[in-house]
Amino acid sequence: MSHSDIYTQIDRCAYTNRFAKTSPTTKIFFALSALIISVSSTSLIAPIIIFASTTLLLLYFARVRVRLYLFLLAYPTFMVTLSCLFIALFFGTGQPIAEIALPWFNWTIFRSGVAMSIATFFRVEGAVSCLFFLVLTTSVTDLFITLRRAHVPKVLVEMSLLIYRYIFVLLEVTGKMNTAQKLRLGHSGVMRRIRSLGLLAGNLFIRTLEQGERTFTAMNARGYDGEIRVLEDMPPSSKTALAGIAVFDAALVVAVLFTMNIGVV
Amino acid sequence: MLFKLENLSHRYSDGTLALDNVNLDFAKGERIALLGTNGSGKTTLLNHLNGILQPTSGRILFEDQPLKYDAKSLLNLRKRVGFIFQDPNDQLFAPTVEQDVAFGPLNLGQPADQAKKAVEEALKVVGMAEYAEKPPHFLSYGQKKRVALAGVLAMQPEVIVMDEPTSNLDPRGTSDILHLLLHLNKEFGLTLLLATHDVDMVPLFANKLCILNKGKLVTTGSPVELFSNTNLIREVNLRSPRITHLFEVLKKENNLSVNPQLPLTISEARKEILRLLYLENPFENY
Repeated sequence: MSHSDIYTQIDRCAYTNRFAKTSPTTKIFFALSALIISVSSTSLIAPIIIFASTTLLLLYFARVRVRLYLFLLAYPTFMVTLSCLFIALFFGTGQPIAEIALPWFNWTIFRSGVAMSIATFFRVEGAVSCLFFLVLTTSVTDLFITLRRAHVPKVLVEMSLLIYRYIFVLLEVTGKMNTAQKLRLGHSGVMRRIRSLGLLAGNLFIRTLEQGERTFTAMNARGYDGEIRVLEDMPPSSKTALAGIAVFDAALVVAVLFTMNIGVV
Repeated sequence: MLFKLENLSHRYSDGTLALDNVNLDFAKGERIALLGTNGSGKTTLLNHLNGILQPTSGRILFEDQPLKYDAKSLLNLRKRVGFIFQDPNDQLFAPTVEQDVAFGPLNLGQPADQAKKAVEEALKVVGMAEYAEKPPHFLSYGQKKRVALAGVLAMQPEVIVMDEPTSNLDPRGTSDILHLLLHLNKEFGLTLLLATHDVDMVPLFANKLCILNKGKLVTTGSPVELFSNTNLIREVNLRSPRITHLFEVLKKENNLSVNPQLPLTISEARKEILRLLYLENPFENY
């Protein structure tokens, strides 16, 4: 999977998964509430349950491709592993679990540091899985409509709408220009590659200006008057689903409160 | 007259005279093709018809009223004169097909349910109904072109102006668009005006042909009339349809007694061949 490919795949997945037609409000409610619980949980139980349930929902119920999900998950997992390793080795106070005498200082690894590192790892993984749940099941179109309904300023919503659409157009243009450069040996050698990249970026900038101009003209030709009106056709949120999520969240909060004082390690 | 261009000239800000004193008019229900090489002024002319460009001199009458360029008049004009751009990516800006097609009707102030109906109908006409909820970047070029057409149809215009509607389309796509346009003209009496350099397509589509060269309107007439004037066609760096060229050669090189009004399409050519065969041997049954 190449990088530009991954954007298209996420986008396609958001439109074609089995939750594509469920109310975006419900999905946003689920993802955001679980995310907040996950990052604010002091014990491991809530993040682990959240990670497991979002993964189950995504892979089994929404039928998101396992490969795509794992591929996406790999990046943050790699990053968070590094950070947590750092936390475990250098953070914490109190009871030490290991002491290594180095020639210039005594390096101590603390129990609380390791505990913090493990907790952070699971909190982040839980939160990340919530975000992927939202990204992989909810199309950008639905998000825009929801934002609009939530009274986010129109300018912001309209700008993001246009940006979203033209990302794909410009991605295609970039791909073509890149290939054209490669075919004329613009990528042989580091210096030439840097020069080619500069040319590409400069050219792309001009292309975006032109594209903007043409799109504006085309919008005018269909009676654009400064406001983009859209059909707000959205599946209504099911009360049962919302209640289910609320119960799930409440159970998680209770679990967090009960396990608050149980140490991680 | 539906549209009347009087001494229309347009000079771009860089000094290029793109249109030079063009006089042209066309009536309701006509199918007009503007034919010319790249840079002959076709697109510039089209851009004047729904007020994207304003003439630098001369004027344009729409139903005998000169065009006005204030916001309200432009909205009224654009409601009646739809414009389809050459590159559908310029036109499709919304995140889904349905929302893009709804853009025009909603701008006309239609309530949501009415707009939705207009969208459904327009998508049905162009055969894209099942793609309503897809984002444009999932579609092929030909499909995007049809959605762009639907976006204009949904506004229920009386005139549709198109810049190279068949460019970059495969043979099937070209033929589909062509049939669709002819259908719209026949069923709904839409006036169609297109710019093209696809000479083989022109006789299948147009009942009126305008030839532009270097910003000047060289001549107007029926396709049969103009394509029979082979010298003129060459002078403006165009060519006749392939099939017409074949008959021209047969006439010149093989002294075949071809009708001076050369056939432009396959069906006309077929008739002509049968006629010639019949002259050769009237007893054979063709």
